[in-house]
Amino acid sequence: MISFENVGMRYGMGNEILTDVSFSLERSSFHFLVGPSGAGKTTLLKLLYLAHRPSRGLVNFFGKDLATLERSALPRIRRRIGVVFQDFRLFEHLTAFENVALPLRLQGAKKAQVADHVEELLSWVGLDDRMHARPATLSGGEKQRVAIARAIINKPDLLVADEPTGNVDAEMSKRLMHLFVALNREGTTTVVATHDENLVRSVGAPILRLEKGHIELQPGGKPIDPGV
Amino acid sequence: MWGRTLQFLPTKSLREGLLPWVIGVMLFLCTLSLTGAVAIGKGLASWSAGLTSNFSVQIVVKDPAERSVQTEAAIRLLNATPGIASTAVLAEADVLALLSPWLGDMPINSDLPIPTLIEVKLDGRSTVNTTALAERLRATAPGAQLDDHQAWMTQILELAGVVQLLLAGVVLMIVLSTVAIVIFGCRAGLATHHESIEIMHLMGAEDKTISKAFDVRYLGHGLKGGLVGVLLAGGVLWLLADLAQEMGQGLISASMPDASNLLWLALLPLSASLLTMLTARITVRKALLEMM
Repeated sequence: MISFENVGMRYGMGNEILTDVSFSLERSSFHFLVGPSGAGKTTLLKLLYLAHRPSRGLVNFFGKDLATLERSALPRIRRRIGVVFQDFRLFEHLTAFENVALPLRLQGAKKAQVADHVEELLSWVGLDDRMHARPATLSGGEKQRVAIARAIINKPDLLVADEPTGNVDAEMSKRLMHLFVALNREGTTTVVATHDENLVRSVGAPILRLEKGHIELQPGGKPIDPGV
Repeated sequence: MWGRTLQFLPTKSLREGLLPWVIGVMLFLCTLSLTGAVAIGKGLASWSAGLTSNFSVQIVVKDPAERSVQTEAAIRLLNATPGIASTAVLAEADVLALLSPWLGDMPINSDLPIPTLIEVKLDGRSTVNTTALAERLRATAPGAQLDDHQAWMTQILELAGVVQLLLAGVVLMIVLSTVAIVIFGCRAGLATHHESIEIMHLMGAEDKTISKAFDVRYLGHGLKGGLVGVLLAGGVLWLLADLAQEMGQGLISASMPDASNLLWLALLPLSASLLTMLTARITVRKALLEMM
C-alpha cells in the first residue's frame, strides 16, 4: 500500500537526514517507528504524512508514485492519512468538537453526520464533557486525545502518530493503544513513533528502527498485554 | 458562493486589525480625488457651455460717425449669419461701467474714444465658424474685432485637463498603494496562520478551500474600510456643498456632485472590497503554490 525505495532526504544543501530508506507498509499492518533523537524519525514521519517530498528515491502511496503525482492530487491522498502530532497542533480558537470535526467537514460530510460521529468519538476517548472546551483550557492528556480523535475521525487508510501517548497516564495510554489496534484491525495501516519500549512490547508489532538515517525492520514479538 | 466556506482562521487577528482602517483612509482620499476630478469636469462643462453660447464684437474706431456706420454694417452681417439668434449693442453707459475698474468713473461725453460692444447670442442649433466670420466682419467693418473667448478658455481647459489627469494619477496611486497594503497584510496573515494552513493542507484541504477563508476575511476588511472611507468623504463633501451654497458661488455649486455621481461613489466600497478580496486571493494562492 505504501512503499519507500532507496529514499534519501536532505533539507536544502544540508547533510542527508535519511539515507537509502526502503520499506513497505502493507494494508492493515502495524509498525512502531523507534530510534534515538536525531535519527530522522520526524523527517520520515513528515514524508509519511506528505508534508515533504523526498530528495531522491521512489515513494508510492496507495499505488501512486509521488514523483509523478500532480500537486492537485495530493489533497485526496492526504484525506486518507490521519496524523497525530506530538505537539497536538490543534486550532486554539476552535473547540474540541470543532477541531475533531474539521476532517469530516473538509470531506463535505453533512452537519448531522458530523455531529453524530464527533460526539461518539469524543465520548469514547473520555471527553464527552469537554467537547465545547477550547484547547487552552484542556490538559495535555485531553489535548492529546482531541488530536487523536481528529486523526481517526474519518477512519483513515494510514494513521501516523508521533508519540501519541506521551502526555497521558498509563491507563489512558493503554486505552489509546487499544483504539489504535482496533482501528488497525479494521484495516487502518498504522505507524506509531515512540520512545516507550513498554508500549512497543505491549503490542508486539514489527519495529522500524532508525539509526543515523538508516532504517532496519525488526520483527514484532509476542504481545505482553493480553488486551492488546 | 460562500455557503461551503470552511472558516478555520480566528475571527480576530491583531496583525490585520488596522487593515480596514488603512483601506478606509485610502478610500477617503480616493473618493475626494475622484469627486475633485468630477467636480472640475462638471464645473468647466457648465461654465464653458455658458461662454460658448455667446461671443462679442467690438467696433474699435476713433471717429464716432464712422464707428456708427461700421457698427450697423457689422450688425447687418451678424444678423444675416446662420446660427446667430440675436445681437444687441451695449449702451455706452454699460460699456463705461465695464471699463470702470481700469479707467475709473468717466462722464459719457468724455473725449476718450469708447469702442462699441455688440453682444451676440447663438441659437445653439448650428455652429458658427468664428474665424471665417471674423474675416468677413473685418472686410465689412475694418474696425470690428470678434472675441469668442477661445484664446483664454483653451488655456483654462488645458489647465483643468492637467489637473484632472493629476487627480486620476492620484487615484491610480491610491489604488496601487491599497493593493500593496493588502498584499503585505495578506502575507503577514499567511505568516501568522502558517501553521493552521499547514495543518489544513495535511488534513487534505484544497488550495481553494484555504484561500476562500482568506477571501471572506479580506472581503469583510475591504467592505468595512470602504464604508468608513466613503462615509467620511461623504461628510466632507456635504460640508463643502453646504459651504458653496452659503457662498452662493454659481461655479462651485454647479461643480458639486449630483445624485448620479453620488451613486457611483456609493459603489466605491463594493469595488474596494472586491479589489481587496481579489488581491488577497491571488496572494494566498501564489503563496500556497509554494507549499507542497
